[in-house]
Amino acid sequence: MMESAPFNLRRIIIWLGRLVLGPIFIYAGYSKTFLPNHFYWPLPMLKFSIAANLSNFGFQVDSYKLLPPAGVNFVSHTLPFAEILLGLLLLIGWRLHIWGTIVTLLLAGFVFGVTRAYLLHMNINCGCFAIAEPVSVKKILEDCAMLLLAMLMTVFSFQQSRQPHPWAAAEKSHA
Amino acid sequence: MDCPNLLYFGELFASITHFALEDFVNRRLILALVAALALGLSGTLIVLAAPHAQTASTKKSLAAKSAPTASSAAQATPQVSLATISVDGVNDIDPNKAFGNKNASVVMEIYSDFQCPACRQLFTTTTQRVMDNYVNTNKVYLVHRDFPLQMHAYSRVASSYSRAAAHIGKCEVVEQALFQNQERWEQNGDVKGTVASVLSPADMKKVQALVDSKALEPLIQKDVQFGQAVPVNQTPTSIIHTKDGQSYPVVGYVSYDVLKTLLEQVAK
Repeated sequence: MMESAPFNLRRIIIWLGRLVLGPIFIYAGYSKTFLPNHFYWPLPMLKFSIAANLSNFGFQVDSYKLLPPAGVNFVSHTLPFAEILLGLLLLIGWRLHIWGTIVTLLLAGFVFGVTRAYLLHMNINCGCFAIAEPVSVKKILEDCAMLLLAMLMTVFSFQQSRQPHPWAAAEKSHA
Repeated sequence: MDCPNLLYFGELFASITHFALEDFVNRRLILALVAALALGLSGTLIVLAAPHAQTASTKKSLAAKSAPTASSAAQATPQVSLATISVDGVNDIDPNKAFGNKNASVVMEIYSDFQCPACRQLFTTTTQRVMDNYVNTNKVYLVHRDFPLQMHAYSRVASSYSRAAAHIGKCEVVEQALFQNQERWEQNGDVKGTVASVLSPADMKKVQALVDSKALEPLIQKDVQFGQAVPVNQTPTSIIHTKDGQSYPVVGYVSYDVLKTLLEQVAK
C-alpha cells in the first residue's frame, strides 16, 4: 500500500505558499487586465476595456520612474498575463522550484520598487491591483510577507525536488 | 506507521520534531533569511518615520496658509452666474467649464482632481489631443467636473481657483498651469502663485475676489455630489454619453490611442 508523503513543516510551507501566492497572483493579473473598466460585450468593447486597463496599469508602472517608455510598455502588456500564468503554475505545483524562483524574483522587484517609491516620498499608487492603493508602510509589509513566503517556498521546493518522491521511493523498495 | 493518504496528527507532530532536529543546516539558512529581511525592514521604517512625520505637519500648515481666509471672504462678493445647463440628458453642466458644440454626437464628462498624478497625465496627454481632434471638430462636447479628493491637501483650493478662472474665461490656461506645475505646488502649496503666473494682474484680482467670496463653491459641491452619485471611485473618471442614451464610464488614465478607439465607435 502506498504511503502518503510525510506531512512536515517543509510541506506545510510549500502548500501554504502555493495556496496563498497562487490565487493572489491570479487575482493581481486578472484585476490589471479586466478591472476597473469592465465592458465584456460586444467584442470591440471588451478589447477597448482591456486596452484601457493596460494603459492605466502602464501609467502606474511609469509613475515609479524606473523604466524607459519601451520598458513600461513591455511590462504593462506582459506582467498581468505572466502573473495569471505564474499563479496557475503555482497552484498546479509542477516544477515548483522554477516558478517559485521567478515569483520570488518578481516579488523582490515589487518590494524594491514600492520601498524606493516610499523612501522618495513619491505620491503614487502601488499598481498591485486594480484599485488605487497609495504606496505605504502597510503595502511594504504586505509585499515583504509575500516575499518571505515565496522565498521559503522556493528553498523548500528546491530541497524537495532533489529528493525522490515518497511514492516513487516506496515503489522502488517494494520492487 | 500505516496510515495511507491520511493526515494523521501524530504523524504530523512527529514529522515536525524530526524536521527540527534533522534539518539544522536548513533551519540556519531560513533563520538567516528571516533575520536579514526583518533587519532590512526595521532599518527602512526607522529611516522613514521622521521625514514623513515632518512632511505631514508641513503640508497641514501650508494648506492652512493657502486656504482663503474668513476675513477676505467677507469682502465685497462679485456678481457671478451659477446657472447650469443640460445637454443630451447630462444635467448641471457649468457652461464655463465645458467646451465644444452642444449638438455634438458625444458628451464626455471628466471628473478630475488637480492634485492627482493620473489626472495630470490624462489632461496633458489625452485630453489635449481630444480637444484638438474631437472637441474642436464638433464631434465631442467636453465637460470638466471637479472632484477634489479629501486625501489631497490643496485639491479643493486648486478647484476654487480653476472654477474662478473659468468664470472670467481663462479656464484652459489656468487648468493647464495647474496640471503642468502640479509637482511644484503640491510641495509648497503655492496654488495662488501658480495661477498668478499665467494671468494678468487685473485677471488675477478678479479670480482672487471670486475665490475669496466662495461664490462658486456650490458649483464645485454640485460636481462632487454628481460624481458621488455615479459613483466615481477614483480619479480621473471619464463618462462618455452618446445620443442614444448609452453611457460608458472609463476609469483611470487612458492613453489617447486607446480612447480614440472608443470615441470612433460611439461618435458615429
